[in-house]
Amino acid sequence: MPCPRCRTPLEPEDLRCPICKQAAPAHIERDRPETMVEVLRCDGCGAAVSYSVEAGAPQCAFCGSVMHLERSVDPREQIESFVPFAVSHSEAKEAFKRWLSTLGFFRPSDLVSGATLESLQSIWWVGWSVDADALVSWTADSDFGKNRAKWAPHAGQAEMSFRRLLVPATRGLTRKETSFLAGTYRLDSAKPHPGLGGENTVIEQFEMVRSQARERVAAQIERMVRARVTGSCIPGTRFRKVHSSVLLRGLRTMRVAFPAHIIAYRYRGHLYRTVLSGQDDAAVMGSAPYSLFKIVGAIAVSFLGLLLTLTVLSLLLS
Amino acid sequence: MEASSSRLSVSCESCGARMLFDAHQRSGRCPYCDSPNVVDRPATYNRPDPLFALRILVSSDSARERLRQWIKGKRMGPKGLRKRAQENGRAVYLPTYLYSATAHSRFRAEIREDYKRGKERKREYRVLTGKHAAYLGDILVTASRGVPNHEVERIEPFYTDNLLRYSPKVISGWTSEEPSMTREECLALAREESGDRVRGLLESFMPGDGHRNLRFETDLAEESLDLTLVPVWVFSVQYDENKPPFRVLVNGQTGKVYGKVPISWRKVLLLALSVACATGVFLLFLHWLGAVH
Repeated sequence: MPCPRCRTPLEPEDLRCPICKQAAPAHIERDRPETMVEVLRCDGCGAAVSYSVEAGAPQCAFCGSVMHLERSVDPREQIESFVPFAVSHSEAKEAFKRWLSTLGFFRPSDLVSGATLESLQSIWWVGWSVDADALVSWTADSDFGKNRAKWAPHAGQAEMSFRRLLVPATRGLTRKETSFLAGTYRLDSAKPHPGLGGENTVIEQFEMVRSQARERVAAQIERMVRARVTGSCIPGTRFRKVHSSVLLRGLRTMRVAFPAHIIAYRYRGHLYRTVLSGQDDAAVMGSAPYSLFKIVGAIAVSFLGLLLTLTVLSLLLS
Repeated sequence: MEASSSRLSVSCESCGARMLFDAHQRSGRCPYCDSPNVVDRPATYNRPDPLFALRILVSSDSARERLRQWIKGKRMGPKGLRKRAQENGRAVYLPTYLYSATAHSRFRAEIREDYKRGKERKREYRVLTGKHAAYLGDILVTASRGVPNHEVERIEPFYTDNLLRYSPKVISGWTSEEPSMTREECLALAREESGDRVRGLLESFMPGDGHRNLRFETDLAEESLDLTLVPVWVFSVQYDENKPPFRVLVNGQTGKVYGKVPISWRKVLLLALSVACATGVFLLFLHWLGAVH
């Protein structure tokens, strides 16, 4: 059910909208034609029940049983949908070898043959896919329109929309890795179950409760807003004291598991790590060794080249 | 069940004894059998059903302890307050409205930009106009004529993130009130607080090294007022048989205390005289030092 004020879908347990604090519509409409007096009775022994500060709930003074109260709950986040794997283990290994061979001149010549695969682990890492519209008000100082001082104040308001913004919740991958992988997934293919063939795949779990998740998503949106405001809203080239106020509307969050392969390989005793998208075998990123010999050789050659050019020039000039 | 203009006479649902409920009382205990009775009246425009309630977290003992600590700190209070004060109090679920809205504001301010010319520090003011939009939430205003809004403000905040859906179970065994103020009166209070909230937001929204003459107009849209019962310990403190008692409120969630203590003018005068004497002696000492040198 969406919030009547900001159109953010509410969870069944929400008593108020987490974004704009509008009360969620009550489930039960109470309809009484006349004034009534009631005494709450214990379901167990029938004695009168009072709210107890110590128990934090209505408690029967005779048998000690406690009654349930409806309150905002803050459950741990659960995966809603899985983006399926489109790259198999063998394809991942092939893609990894291709990637090793395309790293460029400054890598060791025997990198492809000398690298030994230590492990190939498939994981579904977790994150939120966020859609939202925002009315953003901003103020800032910029060098545009400055007078005697270095800065001039500016203000503005802009409509922004965020579609399929990926907010990572994973602990296994770095922020750099997740932002690299984010663009490689087709969210339309997401399914509510992991599907067959995923027996050896690790499914990461959300380690946050809902309120923390909402804070994380809101913080990411704030960061994006700030980046867009400084990138395209404020006139001028230099800014300071950028303030923004975000009015979110229709914030939709999907809890998604994204597929990836993590490869650990060894080269001359050192361990390196590579991450591949589970949906695009061309999307590979990771660490790889450099060839010290080639780098030193290149510097030496350029130095010699420079020396030679200078010598020739000095000979020509003299 | 008989209703008069000020009181409601009802039969205790447990022992059948007749008992009186004040016109604005929602719950209480039967004086004969101590059963917790809750009155359920049909909802009206100015007396809607409560939507939320906040859990009471401060027990009777800790509320009294907080009150005694607070009295101890009142050195300028009347004679006998810190030694002979007797408190009498109870917890009340106070009716309040939880207000939220969307605030669209237009502002105009003069923004200060500092700069240096040589070694001299200078400043210039530039006019800035703009718009600001934000949700306002968690604005709590009283709905009880017995406890004015400025007193509720002094014991805020309440933990509004941890709300309970109202049910008679929450207030069973405790005293609670129905709203005695009209919805319009409460809405006016909430709008006034919203203005203060928007001012605070705009003050921190201004760029530059400072600002002056901030003026703004705000349109409040999509407003909502939700009746919420909040727990408050209300004490009446008597320190002298010949003087009227005064009221002290203790937040039933945080234990924050507020009360308007009568001031002992004799003590204030004595303090002022002591300060004046000490200053005089110090000045004389300085004068003597000057004369010696």
